Amino acid sequence: MMNKTSLIAIALLVFMGFFPLFVDSAWLAVGTTFLVFSVVALSQDIILGRAGVFHMGHAMFFGLGAYTTAILNVNFGLPILATWAPAVLVPMLVAFVMVAPIIHLRGDYLLVATIGFNIIFIQVLENDIFGLTGGPNGLFGIDVVRVLGFDFSSQTHMYYMAFILLGITLFIMRNLDKSKFGRAMFYIHKDEIAAQSMGINVRYFKLYAFILGAGIAGAAGSMFSVQYSAVSPEAFNVTQSIMFFTIVLVGGSASLPGVLIGTFVMFVLPEMFREFETARYLVFGVAMILTMILRPRGIWPVRFGNIPDFLKKGVK
Amino acid sequence: MSEYILEISHVSKYFQGLVAINDLSMKVKKGQIYGIIGPNGAGKTTLFNCITGIYRPEIGQILWKGKDIKGSNPYKIAELGILRTFQTIRLFAEMSVAENIMSGRHIKSKQRWYNGVIPTPAYVRDEKANWEKVGELMDFFNLTEYATIPAGDLSYGIQRRIEMARALAAEPELLILDEPAAGLNENETLELTQTIRKIQEMGVTIMMIEHDMEMVMSLSEYITVINFGAKISEGVPSFVQDDPVVIEAYIGSDEEDEDE
Amino acid sequence: MDIFLQQMVNGLTIGSLYALVALGYTMVYGVMRLINFAHGDLVAFSAFIGLSVYAQIFGESVTSLIAVITVFVFTAAIVAFVGVLLERLAYRPLRTAPRLSAVVSALGAGLVIQNSVMLIWGPNMKIFPSNLFPATIWEIGGIVITFTQVMILGLSSVLMVGLYFFIHQTKIGTAIRAVAIDQDAAKLMGINVNRIVMIIFIIGSSLGAVAGLFIGTYYRGVTFDMGWMYGLNAFVAAIMGGIGNIPGAMLGGLLLGLFNAMITGYISTQWAETFTFVLLIAILVFRPTGILGETVAEKV
Ligand SMILES: Nc1ncnc2c1ncn2[C@@H]1O[C@H](COP(=O)(O)OP(=O)(O)OP(=O)(O)O)[C@@H](O)[C@H]1O
Ligand SMILES: [Mg+2]
Repeated sequence: MMNKTSLIAIALLVFMGFFPLFVDSAWLAVGTTFLVFSVVALSQDIILGRAGVFHMGHAMFFGLGAYTTAILNVNFGLPILATWAPAVLVPMLVAFVMVAPIIHLRGDYLLVATIGFNIIFIQVLENDIFGLTGGPNGLFGIDVVRVLGFDFSSQTHMYYMAFILLGITLFIMRNLDKSKFGRAMFYIHKDEIAAQSMGINVRYFKLYAFILGAGIAGAAGSMFSVQYSAVSPEAFNVTQSIMFFTIVLVGGSASLPGVLIGTFVMFVLPEMFREFETARYLVFGVAMILTMILRPRGIWPVRFGNIPDFLKKGVK
Repeated sequence: MSEYILEISHVSKYFQGLVAINDLSMKVKKGQIYGIIGPNGAGKTTLFNCITGIYRPEIGQILWKGKDIKGSNPYKIAELGILRTFQTIRLFAEMSVAENIMSGRHIKSKQRWYNGVIPTPAYVRDEKANWEKVGELMDFFNLTEYATIPAGDLSYGIQRRIEMARALAAEPELLILDEPAAGLNENETLELTQTIRKIQEMGVTIMMIEHDMEMVMSLSEYITVINFGAKISEGVPSFVQDDPVVIEAYIGSDEEDEDE
Repeated sequence: MDIFLQQMVNGLTIGSLYALVALGYTMVYGVMRLINFAHGDLVAFSAFIGLSVYAQIFGESVTSLIAVITVFVFTAAIVAFVGVLLERLAYRPLRTAPRLSAVVSALGAGLVIQNSVMLIWGPNMKIFPSNLFPATIWEIGGIVITFTQVMILGLSSVLMVGLYFFIHQTKIGTAIRAVAIDQDAAKLMGINVNRIVMIIFIIGSSLGAVAGLFIGTYYRGVTFDMGWMYGLNAFVAAIMGGIGNIPGAMLGGLLLGLFNAMITGYISTQWAETFTFVLLIAILVFRPTGILGETVAEKV
């Protein structure tokens, strides 16, 4: 038996899979970026939507992944493939080191602290620390992925690599939601005191969410840097963090379809209305307010109750 | 090791200089049902919060099997086998009944850190075993028909049952119940009394705050009476019931209530 | 030493501006538990409104005390009205919604205000008239103090002291504090919460308007997107002091202003923001709810 959601999911998957066949290169790039941003938004959602931690600095982890790949490739000549692991691990490590001392802060205090990390990160990039980051201009000339003499250099290659990355991310998210770890995050989110009293180590699971989210965002960052073969600070500033934050809440926090819809609404739609350059963000702001008023839990809110079928038998 | 599983000795807890618990001592035997009574604001819930690590008492010791657990993090205390319910129900309101009870399986689950990302055969078995346990508890508490319903949408009486099921899912050694009968009708209270008996028969030690005197007197083997944070009487129910100090305390507080 | 004192004066000036804006954040947070992300943009909006009011009423040349007072009063009134409107349209419908929904609404409102300013006044920098305040400069022992600085310090102090007494000595102030502590209980006591929220937005927006005008007269150049930077600094100040705490916002603002001035005076301008946030995080590590914020044990 298939329910409506899986049907929609499969239809979407097929559509996304064939997308490169019927669009021009500009839209193909938009499609690729949509996939990459979806991955970042999903990873933000681990922290914000699942663990319920007010986190508004996610672009930093995205940027750390991007810059790790860029620096290792441009400055040290490592092949892209060899930068993948560091691009995931560096954001994870930074997440641990920076967030561990402040993870106990109450919601809004943590929110400002995470904005702060993002701002510090941008200043580090702009001031070209150790001469590695290329300052305000960033780094360019990033290589493409090469495996056994084959170059994944076309936009279509980029698209499918991002597509696979999103697939892996969705796989991880599903496992997370069906494990003790994802559930623990929800319990903490819904009632921290009750969660603690059930034996859940709040600190551990909040950090787990941060580190996992940072790692996935880092992978997306690496992909992003290869797609554009360049990185620069403004792609990872607080404005971007606010976008990822908003994507999650507009789409529906902790809801996989919700976050994908959110990314579409917040990133692809504005691309479609590029002609209306000046007025577009005005309309956008109004739309954000209206969405929240009409759908306070997001366009496609999360639905709980995903329990094994044998437990549903007695339900009337 | 002594026959007492939990020993509270000379515990005091202050809030902004005001004493909420005053030099309180008591000893709970393994397998016992231990009642705590006292007028409103006496400090009963505060005592439970001190035992479960929500608050850290300034003075005194809380010995669990001889080891001081005062000021430990609540999750560590739960891991030791001390689980609780709350006076003001604290369920994960938007989550389903089954998911709520599953939270009790957290400390029993053997999933490894990487199972949040990758499933393994051991993880699959663990997950299945825990959900089955949730199924058993839903049967025990007559909650099966609500399995998928958000806990917050259910009636007060059912929510109280979910909270108990959730705590019991963790297979506690000591179950701490804060006014389990509050808000229940007569039938539900009767059912609850039987349930608590059954839990005791499973070998679980129970501490219980309760204002329903009939229930607490019939269930408890030993009772401590608290007023203004201090112990004013203790003993078997028949003794406490007739203790003039206790009667005085309750009458005194009743009069105050009526004055309002 | 001269640099030190000079940076003190400059720091207190900027700090007063931060404090005025921080009060808007903290008061709204106090009663609604909402980070009003649109507040910074409202401050920027004020500067532009001030420009237009001045141009409309006095043309380009006149300068007098009357002119200045008129500009301030008109601007504050208009901005207060917009603030109240903002609350009605964007926040009130979300009062029972999840907390972060209102935050997104506030972010949206910020976009609306910022882009409205851009559409009305254009994307380029506008210059404030230099003759709004006399160009008098005092030199005391090597330190330069401008008339504008004196005005900023003076008026901000008056407003802050006034606000403090208003909150602590008047009936409305007591009601505001009551709503901040427990909205439901306040309602039961017969306090009209909607009215209190409206008053909060009037006060917060007016203070923001004053700050916006001062930013214009002090720095001269104003841009449609400058609200973000001032808003963020002020918000950081409010958090440093303990968000929801009125004296905390004042203290946080002055502290941050001084700290910024010392960093830019002695160390570097390149790393100014980094220092700001290192200070913030250091404060929060030691005092998780800010300098004056109280930690209340949640009743369980
Ligand atoms: N977090 C807290 N902060 C300040 N005071 C508190 C806190 N928790 C409890 N108190 C105070 O401690 C005293 C004891 O409260 P407690 O809740 O323990 O009483 P109780 O015996 O459980 O009463 P009831 O029968 O009404 O539940 C009360 O005066 C209460 O106001
Ligand atoms: Mg109580």
